[in-house]
Amino acid sequence: MCLGLEGTAHSFGAGVVTDDGKVLSNVWDMLSPREGGIHPREASRHHAELGPSIVKQAIEKAGVQPQDVDLIAFSRGPGLGPCLRVTATIARTLSLHLGVPLVGVNHCVAHVEIGCLESGFQDPVTVYVSGGNTQIIAFAGQRFRTFGETLDIAIGNMLDTLGREIGMRFPAGPTIEREARRGERYYQLPYSVKGMDLSYSGMLTAAKRLYQEGIPIPDICHSVQETAFGMLAEIAERAIAHTKKRELLLTGGVARNNRLTEILKGVAQRHSARFHRVSPPLAGDQGAMIAWTGILQFKAGDHLQVPESHVLPKWRTDEQDIIWRRG
Amino acid sequence: MEEGVGVVNEEIWALGAESVILRVRRWGRTLIEKRRRAKPYLLPEIDSLLRRQRTNRECRMLNRVRRLGVRAPTVYAVDWSSYSILMDFVQGEQLKVIAQTCSDDDLMDLCKEFGRMLGLLHTGGVVHGDPTTSNIIVDPQRRLWLVDFGLAEWNATVEMMAVDLHLVRRTLETTHWDRQEIMLDAVLQGYWDQMASSADEILSRMEEIRERGRYH
Ligand SMILES: Nc1ncnc2c1ncn2[C@@H]1O[C@H](COP(=O)(O)OP(=O)(O)OP(=O)(O)O)[C@@H](O)[C@H]1O
Ligand SMILES: Nc1ncnc2c1ncn2[C@@H]1O[C@H](COP(=O)(O)OP(=O)(O)O)[C@@H](O)[C@H]1O
Ligand SMILES: [Mg+2]
Repeated sequence: MCLGLEGTAHSFGAGVVTDDGKVLSNVWDMLSPREGGIHPREASRHHAELGPSIVKQAIEKAGVQPQDVDLIAFSRGPGLGPCLRVTATIARTLSLHLGVPLVGVNHCVAHVEIGCLESGFQDPVTVYVSGGNTQIIAFAGQRFRTFGETLDIAIGNMLDTLGREIGMRFPAGPTIEREARRGERYYQLPYSVKGMDLSYSGMLTAAKRLYQEGIPIPDICHSVQETAFGMLAEIAERAIAHTKKRELLLTGGVARNNRLTEILKGVAQRHSARFHRVSPPLAGDQGAMIAWTGILQFKAGDHLQVPESHVLPKWRTDEQDIIWRRG
Repeated sequence: MEEGVGVVNEEIWALGAESVILRVRRWGRTLIEKRRRAKPYLLPEIDSLLRRQRTNRECRMLNRVRRLGVRAPTVYAVDWSSYSILMDFVQGEQLKVIAQTCSDDDLMDLCKEFGRMLGLLHTGGVVHGDPTTSNIIVDPQRRLWLVDFGLAEWNATVEMMAVDLHLVRRTLETTHWDRQEIMLDAVLQGYWDQMASSADEILSRMEEIRERGRYH
């Protein structure tokens, strides 16, 4: 059984998962950032202060003893350097203290793998949408490859930034979704798809302008969602048409959005693909996904020695050989 | 049944991301009808705008790029009620498919030609917008044809051309990982042969774009 630690950005999480993929516990805490997004130092202090007690809770909630844990996995990257280092330090300490092996997991890969565990999908096209990421990922040639991504800001970041501008609290995603339901009129916003990549910055600027012009907030939210999700649907669809894969997985914090889910379901249907939205507790940043990916990696023969376990803040999704998958 | 450009005999040839590609018989010839059907999961306002815009763009671009010396299907008719374009059927195989079996030398020749064609487009101020190897057809005489101009744009800036090259690199990384280096070298070689020193600024912008959207 594996204890996984997640701490790439403003959340710290710990989860316990068994070798056959049962999630026994998954505890996390998020530092809500004040004005202007995440402060790396503050977030890392948050992880250092709360990390040990979150780990303790995860073990207690799992109903196991520390000695039952026979593997420690941690989020090695990509992410904010200070946060990654605190998380790695806790992981190394646990590994040495318990005398069990250490595995370094790629955060984005973990989002895909936990989604596959939950859905039973073998080989999906994954739409990974969160505060810091907007990626279309699929497996090809022993790697998870990024078929498309944002050329500027991530979708969650776009929603949160707009929300702050129009007087919503962080995170704004849920509020925008609620407001959008009351929206009636669509205001055209820049729709920017480039191949399988997209860009949200032009749309964000235009949406802020709508607010300054006094357009009702529900209409802005409706227009923003339809445009932003439409673009995402298009690049997902391009990836499906190009790869001819038959499963579509939606994950990350923005996966909570019901309208986005409905649109992507439609995309899957058009291409006779199965669809799954990862459930909220497993879609956000949390330790269980790190633990499960750690198990897959360790079983395939991959683990780290403490001296070589430095963090990888810029570790791209497609930079890791995925030795536990075939194809 | 949806009506296209008054065609009777049709067969689904491919399902694209945006469209259904039908192979049809008309005037005793085989043609392609690209039909952008409604997508019920999108907001109707956005869907119809995109269908209209892209159909319009694709028609105009197909005509324009041939004048730049790039091989692309000729357009015969457009039906604005079903957003359908009737064009030449290009006999051949997608570069994506050919690249899986051909020799290194053959592949490098094809990629060099691909790069040269992109250079021709860019010299003429046009970007393709979706330059994947699915959108290049290699005919039996080993000539390259470009299709799928729905995302194309004119009055191209350095940034737009650099994005086009970035997308080429992306398609090589995701789809042709085992031979991506030789393919990229050949594409850039062909591109450089066409663009000469004006390629420098675009190539360095391409590197910059690659670093952008990365985490935080
Ligand atoms: N219902 C919703 N609709 C749209 N966005 C939502 C909704 N609920 C949450 N979000 C957005 O999800 C984001 C949070 O994502 P997540 O919990 O995965 O954390 P993260 O730190 O951004 O993740 P990562 O490190 O993977 O990038 C926020 O931007 C938030 O606004
Ligand atoms: N004129 C044509 N002749 C032959 N094949 C074509 C032609 N147009 C498209 N195709 C084939 O159909 C596929 C999808 O068409 P495309 O125009 O790229 O649609 P989409 O915009 O939906 O991706 C292409 O990848 C190509 O293989
Ligand atoms: Mg295409």
